[in-house]
Amino acid sequence: VTEPYYPTSSEPPVPPAPEGRRLTARHAIIAVLLAAVLLVLFEGSSIRTAGEDMDPGLERELVLAIGKPAGWVSDRIPFDDWTDDALAFLEDEEAGTQGGFDSAGPAAAGGRAVPPVPPSSFDPTELGEDARRPGALGTLLVTGDSLAMPLDVEIARRLADDAPDVEVERDPHVGTGISKTGLLDWGRLSTEQVAEREPDAVVVFIGANEGFDMPGPRGGDVKCCGAEWAAEYAYRARRMMNTYRRGGDARVYWLTLPAPREGDRQEIARAVNAAIEVAAQPYRAQVRVLDMEKIFTPGGRYRDAMEVDGRRQIVREADGIHLNARGAGIAADAVLEEVRKDFGG
Amino acid sequence: VVFPSYEFAFFFPVVLALSWALMPRPRVWKPFILASSYVFYAAASPRYALLLGGVTLANQVGAVLVDRTDDEFRRRLIMAATVAIDLGVLGLFKYYGFFAGEIGSFLDSLGLGMPVPLLTLALPIGLSFITFQAISYVVDVKRGLLRPASTLDFALYLSFFPHVVAGPIVRAREFIPQLATPRNPRDVAVGAGVVLIAIGLVKKVALADYLAREVVDPVFGVPEAYAAPDVALAAWAYAAQIYCDFSGYTDIAIGVALLLGFVFPQNFNCPYRATTFRDFWRRWHMTLSRFLRDFLYIPLGGNRHGKLNTYRNLMITMVLGGLWHGAAWGFVLWGTLHGVALVIEHALRDRGVRRPPAWLAWLIVINVVVVGWILFRAESLELAATFIGQLFDPGPATLWTPVTVGAVLVVIGFQLLPPDPLERLRVRAAALPAPALGLCLAIVVALVGATVPSQGVPPFIYFQF
Repeated sequence: VTEPYYPTSSEPPVPPAPEGRRLTARHAIIAVLLAAVLLVLFEGSSIRTAGEDMDPGLERELVLAIGKPAGWVSDRIPFDDWTDDALAFLEDEEAGTQGGFDSAGPAAAGGRAVPPVPPSSFDPTELGEDARRPGALGTLLVTGDSLAMPLDVEIARRLADDAPDVEVERDPHVGTGISKTGLLDWGRLSTEQVAEREPDAVVVFIGANEGFDMPGPRGGDVKCCGAEWAAEYAYRARRMMNTYRRGGDARVYWLTLPAPREGDRQEIARAVNAAIEVAAQPYRAQVRVLDMEKIFTPGGRYRDAMEVDGRRQIVREADGIHLNARGAGIAADAVLEEVRKDFGG
Repeated sequence: VVFPSYEFAFFFPVVLALSWALMPRPRVWKPFILASSYVFYAAASPRYALLLGGVTLANQVGAVLVDRTDDEFRRRLIMAATVAIDLGVLGLFKYYGFFAGEIGSFLDSLGLGMPVPLLTLALPIGLSFITFQAISYVVDVKRGLLRPASTLDFALYLSFFPHVVAGPIVRAREFIPQLATPRNPRDVAVGAGVVLIAIGLVKKVALADYLAREVVDPVFGVPEAYAAPDVALAAWAYAAQIYCDFSGYTDIAIGVALLLGFVFPQNFNCPYRATTFRDFWRRWHMTLSRFLRDFLYIPLGGNRHGKLNTYRNLMITMVLGGLWHGAAWGFVLWGTLHGVALVIEHALRDRGVRRPPAWLAWLIVINVVVVGWILFRAESLELAATFIGQLFDPGPATLWTPVTVGAVLVVIGFQLLPPDPLERLRVRAAALPAPALGLCLAIVVALVGATVPSQGVPPFIYFQF
C-alpha cells in the first residue's frame, strides 16, 4: 500500500468527542466549582500552608488570597481533621513531632544570653592535636533540598565503587527550605532522620528555596537578608548541625551555596553562606563547612562552565541555581575527600 | 502552573466560568482565553511568553505570505524559511549546549581547543510541542489544506493552555475550525472531561510519582547499588511510570479542553498491549507518531521508493524522533532501537515470514520497549550500560513490595484487558449528574493529594521535552 503524499482535505479535520452523555456548560461549571469548593472546605489549612511555602510572587499571593480565609474556616470546622484522619493511611511520610523550629531549641533553655564556648568549637587539628577519629563509616546520609540532587547520586555512585560496605541513604526534599516550615520543618525532619537512620556522616546541601520571613526571637517576622535574618537562619542551621552530629559521634559535611545567576538569589545565597559559617562555629570538631563558592564561583561571580580535567565544561543547570551532574561530581569529590580525612580509607 | 496544583485548581474554575459566559461573543471570548493562556504559560517565566509571541508572529507572517504567493517555488521557499526559523529557535534552546559540548570535545581531542562558548540556556517549557504545532500550520497552509487563520485564532491555537505545555500535538486543521463558531453550551462532554481529569490525576500522582519515588529514581540513580531483581523491577516500573505520567497529563489536558468545549485528538491507546512495533507507535504518543509520519516520513518518500528507501526513511524518522525528545545520546539510541525494530519487522513482513503467536509477539515487543526505556531514562550512556550490566548481577530483591510490584502489574495489566468493558465503565461514570461528578472529582483530588510527599508533585516528565 502506498501512503498518500500528505493527508487529503477529505479527512475529517476535527477529532470526534468521546462517547457518552452530553450535559450543558452550566453543568461543567457546577461540577468543577463544587469540586473546588469541597477542596477549599476540606483542605483549607493545606492550601494556606502550601501558599506560605511558595516563592514570593503573584502565584503565592493568589494561593494565599484563597488559602488564608480557607484556612481560617477550616481551623473552625472539623472537615480538615476528618480528611486528615480518613486519609492518614495513604500518607507517604510520618511527620515527626520532635525538634521542630516552632519548638524551643536547646539554646532557648538559657534564653539567648551569651552561651558558654564548648570544646567542640575547636577543630583539634587547628590546635596541633590529633583529630579524634569517629568510628567506622557505616551509614552516610545525603540530604537537603533539590541542590542535593544529583549530588546524592554522585556520592552514592562513587562509594558503590570505592566503599561498597558504606550504606548511602539519599533523602533530598525538593522545594523545601530551612527558612520555611509549612510543608516541611527541617528541625523536625533532621531529628527524625537521625532517630531512624543513625547516620555516621551527614552531607547537607540546602539553600535553593530560602529567603522567607522567619519569626524572630523578639516576636514579629524578620525579613531576608540582613543580619537579623542571617542570625535566625544560623540558629536553625546550628540546631540541625547539633542534631546531625549526634553528640559528637557523627560528622557533618555542610556545603555552602555556589553563587546563583540572578542578583536577587545572590543576595539570599550570601546571607545563607554567612549564616552557615557562623552556625558551625560551636561544632568545628565535627562539622565541616565545604566552600562551594570557592570551587564554582570564585569571588562570587557566577559562571556556567569551568575548567575540569584540563577542559572547559558546563557545571551548572540552565536555571543558574543547581549543579548539573558534572558539577555535582566535583562537589561529591570534595565531600568524599573530607570524609576520607575523617574516617580514613 | 501545572495541572495538579492549587494554582491551577483556582485558575481553572474561574477561567471555565468566564469562558462559557463570554463564549457567545467571540470578539471578547477570544482575547480573554488568549490572555488566560498567556497567564498560564507566563507563570513559568514571562520571558517565555515573549518567545511564544515571537514564534506566533513569525509563523503567521510565513503562513500569510505563503497563501498570498502563487509561484510554487516562492511558496516553498517561504515555507522552508519559516520552518527553518522554528527549528532554529528549537535548536538554539534545546540543542546548543549538547552540540557545543560535543563539538568542543571533538576539537579538543584534535588539540584545537574550544571554539564555541559554553552556555546553559533554559529550555522554555513546551517549546518542542509549540514548534511542531507551528510547523503543522505553515505546512498545511502551503499544502492547501488550511486557509491562514486570523492572527488571533492562530495565537490562540498555539497558546491554548490545555495543550501548550506538553501536548497532545494538535494539528492546526483540527483546532482552528473549532474556533470558527462558538462552542455549543448544550453539548458539552462534562462527564467524559471530569472522568479523564480524575483518571489523569490518579495516573500521575498516585502511580507515576509513587513508582518514581520508591523504585525508579533510586535504582536509575545508582544502579551499582542494586542487584538484578531490583534493576529489572526498576526497568518495568519506569515503563509504567512514563506511561502514567505522560498519558496522565494528556488525559487531564483532553479533559480540561472538553470542559471548555474543545476536542483534542487521542494520544494513547493502551500502548503496552501492542504485538508489533508498528502497533506500538500507533498507540504510544499517537499525535507525535502522526506528526512524524505526515511531516517527516512521508515527505522523505515514505514507502514509495522501494524497500531499502522505506527502511532508510523509517530509520531517519525514528532517530530524529528520538532526538526530538532531547539533546542526549540516550534519546538518539532509543530512537535508533525503535527504528531498527521497525525495519526488522518490515523486512520480515516483506519476506513473507510468518508472524509468531500473539503472546510471543507481545513478549518480544514489550521487552524491547522496556529495554528502550532504559536508554531513554538513564542520565548517560555509561549509566545505561551499568544498569543493563546489573540486570545480570544476582542478588536480593530489596524493592519488591506488594505495593510496588502491584502498581507495575496494575498499569501494564489494565492495558491487556479487553477495552470494551473499561470503556463502558468510563461511559457509565461519565453519565453521572454534575453534582455527583464534582463530588467524585473532589474525592479523587483528596485521595491522590494525601499521597503527595512533602516536596510536592514533581513536574511531568514530558515538560522537559
